[in-house]
Amino acid sequence: MNEMSTARAVAGAAGTPAKIRLLRAEKTFQVRGQDIEALHPTDLDIRPHEFIALVGPSGCGKSTILNMIAGLMRPTAGEVLYDGQAVTGPNRRVGYMTQKDTLLPWRTTRDNIRIALELKSHATPRAEADDRVRQMIELVGLKGFENHTPAELSGGMRKRAAMARTLIYEPETLLMDEPFGALDSQLKLLMLDQLQSLTQHRRMTVVFVTHDLGEAITLSDRIVVLSARPGRIRAIHEVRLERPRDVFKVRFTPAFSEQHERLWDELKDDIIKGTDV
Amino acid sequence: MAEGQRTRPADASRFGRDNILIWQVALVAGLLAAWEFFGRFSGGDQVSSPSRIINRIVIWLGGELYPHLFTTLGELSCGMAIGCSLGALVGLVLGRMPIVSIILRPIIVGLYSVPLVTLAPLFIMFFGLGLLPKIVLVSIVTFFLLFFNTFTGAQQVDEDYLRTLDLMGASKFEQFRKVVAPATAVWIVGGIKIALPYALVATITGELLATRSGLGFLISRAAERFDMTSLYAVLLILMALGLLLSETALRLEHRFLRWREAAE
Repeated sequence: MNEMSTARAVAGAAGTPAKIRLLRAEKTFQVRGQDIEALHPTDLDIRPHEFIALVGPSGCGKSTILNMIAGLMRPTAGEVLYDGQAVTGPNRRVGYMTQKDTLLPWRTTRDNIRIALELKSHATPRAEADDRVRQMIELVGLKGFENHTPAELSGGMRKRAAMARTLIYEPETLLMDEPFGALDSQLKLLMLDQLQSLTQHRRMTVVFVTHDLGEAITLSDRIVVLSARPGRIRAIHEVRLERPRDVFKVRFTPAFSEQHERLWDELKDDIIKGTDV
Repeated sequence: MAEGQRTRPADASRFGRDNILIWQVALVAGLLAAWEFFGRFSGGDQVSSPSRIINRIVIWLGGELYPHLFTTLGELSCGMAIGCSLGALVGLVLGRMPIVSIILRPIIVGLYSVPLVTLAPLFIMFFGLGLLPKIVLVSIVTFFLLFFNTFTGAQQVDEDYLRTLDLMGASKFEQFRKVVAPATAVWIVGGIKIALPYALVATITGELLATRSGLGFLISRAAERFDMTSLYAVLLILMALGLLLSETALRLEHRFLRWREAAE
């Protein structure tokens, strides 16, 4: 709770109102007549342009928080504010990359990535759309797979296609639920690098769920550590690594190791308690 | 054929594909020869014979067949076009309107429980002896088949796809066009495939009852005159037509649903 109040103080001191705000937001699910508390009443302020990672064991309510920010789920009690407004329905200001990739199986990679630009709300001239799609495909390393359908792609490729599809319309806020789980480590670093430069360049606000502490430290301004069910915030860590960060080298710096150790100390009790990571 | 090879590839390959073909040809040739033999030497008119039937078809192909063939095909395609498009459209819309579909459900199920071809006399009374009663009959038969298939498909659209599009800022109409319609296409094409043979049955049934043209008319005229050769000839033509239609349906399916084959 201490960290909580400091976090809010920081947001207040900067003079900028929070971009996203959880106010005593809680979520209880009914499973076969039983109430399961997924998220204990939680306060959290996320600043504009901030890159924030949510880490913690499975079932700690990380995805629940994303779903509430996206407006796909209403908190059982409490509120979620976006730009000071309560989120009551699908939040069109966010781009949400869910754990399941939801690529449309009848569309090729190219057409899946393109879909947002076909919508009236992001109407884009054809030539420009072609151009941006091509750039995106190159950015996520799917060149040569433009005409494949999702079923013909590997799990990692699908994740990358889903990321490209979300990034292409440049939402002001990006919600990502374990986007790089299925990638091998080299490719993951490349993707982290791309994601960092894109989000920094476009000054996006990012809320990022991950199991990988290294990934969280590499990218984030702050890391929110959640504890197992019912999920609650255990601590919030400021990541004091200078930007821009070299995702390929930052993990070999002493500051990184120190950060990693502190996080691990925070998490290991929960993990050892027998939840799967 | 193709079906059998797919389900039991081991058996088929052990026997050899060429051997299978030889046996099939031999079997059909044997049956035809027996029929021909029987037809020639028994002298009975009911039996007719393959050579006489082929002869009759060749004569018809000289001109007489075409108006009848076109009548039947015209009724079939008009009826299919109307019935399938309306069925798919209503199925798509109702499939996405759970409350309305619950209200309408008993009415639709009730209507569909009537064996539809029995409506033929009714339509003939309403619409006379021309093409119209057959077109209406085919439309109704195919409408229901398409409706039920499409309806099921539209209900099973993955909500996660819709949510994804919703967050991207897609309007309800855009979600419908980009997700619901293509996701349901599998079911629509499947429905058309099922509907084709039923449509043929409905057309011929309508023509058998009262008409002045069409393949069904050729059948009833032949039957009235005890002209077995003509009767068999029409049946042969119908068989060919049926095969042609199902082949067309397969091609259609392959063309529109290539992504699905990849998924499987």
